[in-house]
Amino acid sequence: MKYELHPLGDSAVIVHLGDKISEETNVLVRNISLLLEEQPLPGMIEFVPAFTSVTVFYNPLKVLQNGKRNGKRKPDSPYELICGEIESAIHKIGPENKSEARNVEIPVCYGGELGPDIELVAQHNNLTTDEVIEIHTEAEYLVYMIGFAPGFPYLGGMSEKIAAPRKESPRLKIPAGSVGIAGSQTGIYPIETPGGWQLIGQTPLKLFDLDQDPPTLLRAGDKIRFHPISTTEFEKLKGGQE
Amino acid sequence: MINVKEPGLMTTVQDNGRNGYYSFGMPPSGAMDKYSFIVANLLVGNDENAAVLEATYLGPTLEFDCETTIAVTGGEIPPKLNGEPFGLWKPVHVEKGDVLSFNFVKSGTRVYIAVAGGIDVPIKMGSRSTYTLCGIGGFEGRALQKGDLLKTGEASNPPASTEITLSEELIPKYGNRHEIRVIMGLCSYRLTEESKKKFFDIEWTVTPDANRVGYRFKGEPLEFVEREQPFGAGSDPSNVTDLGYPIGSIQIPAGIEPIALLNDAVTGGGYATIATIISIDLFKMGQIKSNDKVKFIEVSLDEAIEARKELNGKLDKVKETIKTVSIGG
Repeated sequence: MKYELHPLGDSAVIVHLGDKISEETNVLVRNISLLLEEQPLPGMIEFVPAFTSVTVFYNPLKVLQNGKRNGKRKPDSPYELICGEIESAIHKIGPENKSEARNVEIPVCYGGELGPDIELVAQHNNLTTDEVIEIHTEAEYLVYMIGFAPGFPYLGGMSEKIAAPRKESPRLKIPAGSVGIAGSQTGIYPIETPGGWQLIGQTPLKLFDLDQDPPTLLRAGDKIRFHPISTTEFEKLKGGQE
Repeated sequence: MINVKEPGLMTTVQDNGRNGYYSFGMPPSGAMDKYSFIVANLLVGNDENAAVLEATYLGPTLEFDCETTIAVTGGEIPPKLNGEPFGLWKPVHVEKGDVLSFNFVKSGTRVYIAVAGGIDVPIKMGSRSTYTLCGIGGFEGRALQKGDLLKTGEASNPPASTEITLSEELIPKYGNRHEIRVIMGLCSYRLTEESKKKFFDIEWTVTPDANRVGYRFKGEPLEFVEREQPFGAGSDPSNVTDLGYPIGSIQIPAGIEPIALLNDAVTGGGYATIATIISIDLFKMGQIKSNDKVKFIEVSLDEAIEARKELNGKLDKVKETIKTVSIGG
């Protein structure tokens, strides 16, 4: 496995697996994440998987204490010590996909008040709104990473046929659950935030729920599919959650 | 119970922060100036991590409905009890009905108000810290408002003696010009050599965009090395493939104005992070305000660890002082 380690300040190190987003690289990211989850490194606080990297956050003084006990190389540098731990952990990992992807179905009520920009996306691509929905629902999407905002999934796999530019001026309030398109990406807003994506629909599912542990519906590595639902179903599903 | 008579500009409940949820997109929040935060807790006999109030620029007015001990630390926003000024950085006894208020800020940006027993709000995802952008934690997930009633917990230790005086070296001074130490990377190679030099040569001015999410700086434009952007990265040369941002990381969208991400920041995104502020200087950032001048200084990882040990040494001295005075008194 080809990777580089770099410090991000004095208490984080990034395992960088390249620049290009690909499913193969993402498998490596997930294998590393799985290992760190099962066998946390001594002194590690937490880690963040991204498209082509995993960032490990650590407490340098704890890493130092632990390193002194074990008599590791350059025992006075927490960074060197944590890098040593990461290297020996990665050494155990092969390129095969170790984690089982979860399949998650996301019901979406497309168009209307819940997806006010679907017409625009259709016009931009010379399609009908039904075609936009068809293209959006027939693909399988990979959750590459969760980040930016709580529970926000970075999804890969959207067809270029329904790509659309961001709005010129962002909306100040986008309801939680809104499904949008920006460039060749699609995404779901987990919480009410401002945002500039073209909104094509809304899911009644809660992507971020403080009362759940973990608080997010999706995890990096999940495979998701959207399926269309009617306004009535939307109301029913949404009501059922309250 | 503490009755919030006036909330101040931005007063929130904060503790040491929320760890373990970064990969879900949840930043740590927590007290911005951790040194002042910990000392405030120690002075009232609290656990180091107990929840306190963090007030920015303009302090709140609070009425206490029972006898307790409080301590105010941090920026020089002079506190008053029933209108009488009292000193920061020492425990103060308050009686039932006493009112804590503040004068205008003289230096620094944030004060910490610790109350014996800590501010008792529900623990959300392992922390009492408020993350206002998401409405999570703290008092109803938001900054305090007039009329809020805050509960306090049981104190774990007796408060420090009100006779206590911390030595000068343990009390930080906050000016208008600051040196902030950083570690280069991850993407400093994306800047041209000339711009990299400029980044450290310029004295940056903090813009009005300076809050718990991050600080934006004004100076001169910087240039990125042109390149063919990798698949998945944005089109601007300051873009990279999206990755996790650590707290303290500095990005320069389009090379225009550097932004330092702080406790309530987004956890990831697609801008090249040029450098990261060392953890100990993040506490200093919490006392910097708009229009202050900042110079970034490059340091090594070893120097960052030394700075951390030095700060821990100061905290040990605070603990010693408290212990000695308590036994002696």
